[in-house]
Amino acid sequence: MMPSQIIISNISSSARLKYVKPGYQFLANHFVAWISVPILVILFIQVLSRGNLEILALLNSSHYGHVQILFSSFLVISLSTLYNKSKRRTIYLVDFACYKAPAELRVTFDAFIEHSKIILKSEPKSLEFQLKVLERAGLGEDTCLPSALHLLPPDPTLEACREEAEMVIFSAMDSLFLKSGLSPKDIDILVVNCSFCLSIPSLSSMVINKYQMKDSVKSFNILGMGCSASLISVSLVRDLLQVHPSYNAVVVSAELMTTIFYQGKERSMLVPNCLFRMGGAAILLSTRRTFCNIRAKYRLLHLVRTHTADDDTSYNCVQLKEDLEGNLGAWLSKELMAVAGKGLKLNLTALGPLVLPPSEKILYFMNFIARKISSSRWRPYIPKFKQAFEHFCIHAGGRAVIDGVQDSLQLSVEQVEASRSTLHRFGNTSSSSLWYEMSYIEAKGRMKKGDRILQISFGSGYKCNSAVWECAETVKIPTGDPWRDCIHKYPACVPQLIKSADQ
Amino acid sequence: MVFHAREDSPTYEDGILEMDEFFHDSIDKLLARTGVSPQDIHVLVVNVACITTIPSLASRIIKRYKMREDVKIYNLTGMGCSASLISINIVESIFKCQENVNALVVASESLSPNWYTGNDKSMILTNCLFRAGGVAILLTNKKSLKDRAMFKLKCLVRTHHGARDEAYTSCIQMEDEHGRVGINLSKNLPKAATRAFIENLRLISLKILPLREILRYALLSFVGKFVMINFKTGVDHFCLHTGGKAVIDSIGKSLGLSEYDLEPARMTLHRFGNTSASSIWYVLGYMEAKKRFKRGEKVFMISLGAGFKCNSCLWEVVRDLDGENGNCWNECDIDKYPPTSFSNPFMDKYGWLNHKDETTFDRNDFE
Repeated sequence: MMPSQIIISNISSSARLKYVKPGYQFLANHFVAWISVPILVILFIQVLSRGNLEILALLNSSHYGHVQILFSSFLVISLSTLYNKSKRRTIYLVDFACYKAPAELRVTFDAFIEHSKIILKSEPKSLEFQLKVLERAGLGEDTCLPSALHLLPPDPTLEACREEAEMVIFSAMDSLFLKSGLSPKDIDILVVNCSFCLSIPSLSSMVINKYQMKDSVKSFNILGMGCSASLISVSLVRDLLQVHPSYNAVVVSAELMTTIFYQGKERSMLVPNCLFRMGGAAILLSTRRTFCNIRAKYRLLHLVRTHTADDDTSYNCVQLKEDLEGNLGAWLSKELMAVAGKGLKLNLTALGPLVLPPSEKILYFMNFIARKISSSRWRPYIPKFKQAFEHFCIHAGGRAVIDGVQDSLQLSVEQVEASRSTLHRFGNTSSSSLWYEMSYIEAKGRMKKGDRILQISFGSGYKCNSAVWECAETVKIPTGDPWRDCIHKYPACVPQLIKSADQ
Repeated sequence: MVFHAREDSPTYEDGILEMDEFFHDSIDKLLARTGVSPQDIHVLVVNVACITTIPSLASRIIKRYKMREDVKIYNLTGMGCSASLISINIVESIFKCQENVNALVVASESLSPNWYTGNDKSMILTNCLFRAGGVAILLTNKKSLKDRAMFKLKCLVRTHHGARDEAYTSCIQMEDEHGRVGINLSKNLPKAATRAFIENLRLISLKILPLREILRYALLSFVGKFVMINFKTGVDHFCLHTGGKAVIDSIGKSLGLSEYDLEPARMTLHRFGNTSASSIWYVLGYMEAKKRFKRGEKVFMISLGAGFKCNSCLWEVVRDLDGENGNCWNECDIDKYPPTSFSNPFMDKYGWLNHKDETTFDRNDFE
């Protein structure tokens, strides 16, 4: 065969495949409609072809009296009501607000390098390592750290930690009250989560004191659950709202850097300093679709929590440790990405049956059977999760995390744009990063009614949690923070390597 | 750590070690006694007030016991001495949404990183009261385990007075003038505790007392007579938070309790000290070891915590308990309690210091 004929043959076969696949997907995903619509049409035609008198005669000739018909109707209505009551109530995300730090807390590359040169003066190799990480981290020049860490030497006192907590949490909550019309006295459930800010009374008590909340408020203070703690808090609220459907719940996710910023010189513990930045979000959840005459923005469809803590490698990949000088810091192991991949696979295996369209489920099932029969001939089929969602919010843990998830889920550049932009503008704000990403998509005017959003987050232990939201109302471009004055700059072109002016 | 004179410089590992010792003892015993496999635990709630670890203590427990991949875990911190009932509240809500669930609640207090090494009197008090301890509780809503259960939860009420500045600052972690971190117990603490306590009782009494007692109280109050609610009409046993002798005396007086009712709390304070969130469970254990529980009896638990919180609940005894199932009090020779003498051995040995002129003391400078 001539080469051109081979090319033409290949193109035509690929062209056939190109049209067959969407056709197969359409057929499989709408199978029920394909079967039921023709049956309903036939029944309708049959009814229309009979006259009114014929239909009445049919009803009168039935052996059931009026009492039996009434009783049957009552039974059907009662059973339907019982069924509705036993169903899990839908959880709505009414609105959320993210914290935006003031400009004076910005940490530019030059400022960070200057501080590092002074603190790591006696450890040139650690300094060189930290600079390398910073160059490749994917962060921009507008990320922020609290004022205590701008000092030389840093002054992370208990008082400074409380000040940071008040600034981040109260700002986010004030924005939420303004956007949603919620009054602090109407909050019935308050869940505050943070990676590491031990304070007595707890952060949740601090919020209750500030906003003079009611005595019956149910508060929970979750610490140490890592970057996936926000979805863990949403999971807790989901269960609480099933028991108390009339309650209003607020989840506050904050990353407070004052006490967690590593002050030592150990190389393996310097990486988080280059990635983590202060940030926070406040989220209002309810079982009501309309709140204070405002329609809720999102509906929670699924939330899947998985962990791999039973495996030692997974458990040990992120740890808080003390170095030889007694400085506390987070240590990240080299196996972190592999562990994250394993966690992601486990979570998606649980999530897949809930969200994948029937076409993908059928393909996966057929591939599974084929591999059982002859595993050497068939590669595992990776379902196309991108078909199930319009938007993706991947935890902005770092460039490598976003790259890894993008490869695993075969996502396009546009689909990870929110994550990369959040990492660049705000840094890794831990559990609140998912909300900065949602806010980005809203600020870009991309959130339309019916859109499905997948949030994926990771956390120490090792946890992988995911949530699926559906946009209940097309979201108008918000006029508030945190993206208000910089959305026009994104998507930004972030080079793989950023050199500072000093080098 | 304290015995090695390292209170001034505790390490992060000291806190972890303290928690590991508690986990290995309590959780191992609980799982062995009940025969429940760690793989059958669906929910794990850990609350330890004064330590944050990464990964969390809940993850640490999962790793040690190889729990299932979809176990729901919650790690609560900083919620004070009433946190165990907050954890029970979480489990209660989950039980109402899901069937056939086993839940493990673990409550403790970490003293290693929190020993106050300064001289501020309001912060030294915590060193005198708080001691190491912890509890592991297995809860279930499985009908198959109903006959093996000890207690059934009837109701739980939470009250939070954090909106009041006086209450919020009554128990607060802060730095003293020399930068040493400690927990300040202010003079407002008894007043804040009393207010939260009364508010909580007001709510829970309607749920736990018989109607005739409520009507009696309402009628007599209406005609202007001073009357105390008789909680013993609805409650047979009282588990009071062992915050200190003053706390026990005060609650006992408010509820009109006898020495017999207060004995479990006093003995827990005597033997174990204030073990924070787990203290009410030591009190429960004392009553079980003393064979006080008969089927159908009601047990009232009340605890107070920083913020200021007051949480309470009512349990019903499911079956007669003979106290033979490995309760920690059995290892203490329960028959020795109550002891015949309550003299403070420290007063006998060091009480003479109070009568000496401190300007004559030869003090080492610890600054």
